Amino acid sequence: MFDSESIQPGAITDDSAHASIEESPIVDAHPEEILARLQAQTRRHFLRSFTAGVGSMFLGSMALKYASPVEAAELNIDGTPRLEFRRDPTRPLSVLPPQFPARAKRIIYLHMAGAPSQLELFEHKPDLTRLDGQDCPASFLQGKRFAFISGVPKLLGSQYPFHQAGQSGAWVSDRLPNFEKHIDDVCFIKSMRTDQFNHAPAQLLVHTGNPRLGYPSMGSWVTYGLGSENQNLPGFIVLISGGKQPDGGKQLWGSGFLPSIYQGVQCRSHGEPVLYLQNPQSVSRSLRRSELDAIDEINRQQYAEFGNPETITRISQYEMAFRMQMEATDALDIRKESAATQAAYGCKPGEESFANNCLVARRLAERGVRFIQLYHWGWDSHGSNAIEALNLGFTDRCREVDQPIAALLSDLKQRGMLEDTLVVWGGEFGRTSMRENRNGAVMQYIGRDHNPGAFTIWMAGGGIKPGFTHGETDAMGYEIVKDPVEIRDLHATMLYTMGFDHHKLNYSFQGLDQKLTSPKPARVVSEVLA
Amino acid sequence: MIAPFRQWPLRDRLGLFALAPILLLLALLLFFPPDGAQRSDWAQFIGGFHLLTIHFPIALVFLIPVLEIAGRSRRFQYLHASVELVLALAVFSAIASAVLGWFLARSGGSSGTLVVQHMWGGFFVSVFCCLCWMLRGRFAGQRFDIAYISCLVATVLLVSFTGYRGGQLSHGATHLTEHMPSPLREWLGVSKQEEKGPATATPDSSFAARVEPVFAQNCVTCHGPSRQKGGLRLDSYEAILRGGKSGPVIKAGDPKNSKLFQRISSAHDSDNIMPPPGKTPLSTDQIKLIELWISAGASPNLAANAVEDAASIARPAAEITFAEIDDAAVAKQRAPIANALTELDKRYPDVIEYESRGSAKLVINASLMGSKFSDDDVAQLKPLYNQIVAADFSNTAITDRSATNLAAMKQLRMLRLMHTRITDATVLALGGLSELESLNVFDTGITPAALKAAEHMPKLQHFYAGQTKITANESLPDALKGKVQF
Repeated sequence: MFDSESIQPGAITDDSAHASIEESPIVDAHPEEILARLQAQTRRHFLRSFTAGVGSMFLGSMALKYASPVEAAELNIDGTPRLEFRRDPTRPLSVLPPQFPARAKRIIYLHMAGAPSQLELFEHKPDLTRLDGQDCPASFLQGKRFAFISGVPKLLGSQYPFHQAGQSGAWVSDRLPNFEKHIDDVCFIKSMRTDQFNHAPAQLLVHTGNPRLGYPSMGSWVTYGLGSENQNLPGFIVLISGGKQPDGGKQLWGSGFLPSIYQGVQCRSHGEPVLYLQNPQSVSRSLRRSELDAIDEINRQQYAEFGNPETITRISQYEMAFRMQMEATDALDIRKESAATQAAYGCKPGEESFANNCLVARRLAERGVRFIQLYHWGWDSHGSNAIEALNLGFTDRCREVDQPIAALLSDLKQRGMLEDTLVVWGGEFGRTSMRENRNGAVMQYIGRDHNPGAFTIWMAGGGIKPGFTHGETDAMGYEIVKDPVEIRDLHATMLYTMGFDHHKLNYSFQGLDQKLTSPKPARVVSEVLA
Repeated sequence: MIAPFRQWPLRDRLGLFALAPILLLLALLLFFPPDGAQRSDWAQFIGGFHLLTIHFPIALVFLIPVLEIAGRSRRFQYLHASVELVLALAVFSAIASAVLGWFLARSGGSSGTLVVQHMWGGFFVSVFCCLCWMLRGRFAGQRFDIAYISCLVATVLLVSFTGYRGGQLSHGATHLTEHMPSPLREWLGVSKQEEKGPATATPDSSFAARVEPVFAQNCVTCHGPSRQKGGLRLDSYEAILRGGKSGPVIKAGDPKNSKLFQRISSAHDSDNIMPPPGKTPLSTDQIKLIELWISAGASPNLAANAVEDAASIARPAAEITFAEIDDAAVAKQRAPIANALTELDKRYPDVIEYESRGSAKLVINASLMGSKFSDDDVAQLKPLYNQIVAADFSNTAITDRSATNLAAMKQLRMLRLMHTRITDATVLALGGLSELESLNVFDTGITPAALKAAEHMPKLQHFYAGQTKITANESLPDALKGKVQF
């Protein structure tokens, strides 16, 4: 029912009796101003707000029907109170406190794209070595899908000798001589499993909790939940070692349905840290400043006219980019580190390398970046060529990451930052206990196929129990026999160390309280917590 | 004078014929009693039909007195003629069911008084049924007809008793009495306690000490005295071995083929998982414990320490639970500092933050302000000192002038002063920080003299002294051994 008076133009006054008008932003305005505003209302604006208006009328009537003491907007779909992540639109990355006291303030995630072989690094299986070259038992093949293995493959023992290291006595191969000095600082999970056996979906599952495109990366979730301490840098930064890009593509650090401010920003460890961030030649910083001031002024007028919060976000993005010109260049410049530090990581400034990225990661962590993600490449050791061979390329990959990881852990530990930084290392799935026999033939190089059924990751710092191993695989290292950990359990555990109940770090989208751990039940792996 | 067998009436000939399986059954029961041991699939398969066929003799036996009594009236006289056939069917179905019952009992998981009573009940049902058949009509009109009548009464009573015991076996010992209204219960003198299955496990056995508590804590609400989902009870050793409607749930020595173990060790999102989704899951160690117990023979009296590896199972890590934040209580706690905080937050954006949404404690991170943050700024935070639990002043311009202010932050658990110009004077002033767990003076002018103050901090766990004048070969006081990081 419409009050006939309220739709007469002459009746639009500041009379507070007309509740429907009172709530609109044009209440106290002068008639000319109202006219100007109404002229600014294009057909699109009208249609958009009209449909939203019908919807809100419906919701309003429903809310009356199901009125409860707590407002509907403050509840999750399951009826528990919702955590509020609303912010000042001009400061979308401002810091919010965690749900409960956190053990970790930031995460450094080292992803070995291609899936490193756990059987050449951390899984000591003497029985598998003993049975090397024998036909694989039929039970290993029943109901299994492989990317390349066909027929009956042969079992393949570890290509490298193992020994026990540290006080914890964890087994490690001879490929990681520097890392093993930190073996008492890390916690292994040897019973990780996934339900994806191809790289791209498996990587998406690891990083977004879903094998399909369009979901926010865990870095986006964490920045959405906690903001970033440093307003001059993105809260979520991605670094790639060069070589091949991860198969999952840029969606691995995409923000999905979360506001795009929370997506990962890929920085480069040589040349310009962020492409197109620097001023063009002959444009000085002061000229850039006045240019930005002009653009900001136009944007502000735009906002005054339409009141779209996205406009404010755009202003803040321009401003952050301007501040980043200084800060990002400084943070990503490893030449500012001493020669000794560079040597400890094995850095070669001016190159794209995992070593350089590890040092950058430490510098970013010191500058309050919330989530730092490093991708290394070339771990897909099928044995189909020299680079992807366990006896050749794999050794190079180990050499590329061993020293930098050890140096990063040393640096964090020395600076007391391992107390509140969570470091995670892993791939997207594991590798088979059988030698790959592509097309049923004996291949020139030695390699293993994909095994989603079992793989190993390690975590260090930030509330994780050091010198501990969780989970176990069978004598062949093929299937999990104890304490399986799903990817979503890992996510729940990581979010727990950051101070969140994974159910509560959520975002309403498509009628669901969307969350990193997917709608399936996830468990915080309490065994690995310190 | 006994006539030749061929001239005997059909009934007598069949009756004698029925004697053979009855004797066979007796021999089976005597020489091969059910002992709880697991046997071949065939026995299990055949035994399964017991549950199906058992309903025939029960119904038929109850039908006989109905037919007999109704047949006395003139109107239903014709029913009398049916009794003969019904009796014959009852005899053969009773014998067949009893034999099938033996198969079921023999196939495993069955032992104990309930089973023995049910077994002999079933045997005597078939014997008395057969007797009824032989006696019926033989002494019609004579005073010996009382023999037939009492035989029939005995059969009916026996069927009732055996059927009740059978019901207890498959639906739980209290399936009839549990919902009995309490007045009736009192009148009959049935108490709930009496109905509990007998516990025959040795008290200090692995079962009683370790396994049973797991069941008691996680399973018996649905598989116990009050409810028997799937016909399964897990509140006594016998009940566990007996299994549920679908048969035994434990195969001694073989956890992988024990239904109970398969269900508790399913993937935690599968439909088969027990306890079902939504209920508290068993911890991995509890699952391991049950696996070890079954592997060791699922014995009731195996000593607790005899189960290999069980001793090495650490106390299970507590499952993480999340409490809801009580917003009103938090607001109340925060009220005293709220105004000061709002002011200071404007001046130092993103520097001061609550430790968590449920806390009034504060965390300070001034390290990103660098040289713009000085001793004066530390002093500005004064109204908040008592709430600060962690503070990072690394990279800032603070000096020893802040020492007394830092020392006033009595709640501090973590203090970071990396890359600053502080000296030993600051560390020496911090001796009274009784909550401090982590002190970071990396890359400062600290000398070994500072160790004196650090030594007396009762909760100190980490002292980061890298790139200072304290070197790795410094001889450390005992209290700091293993706590200093270079």
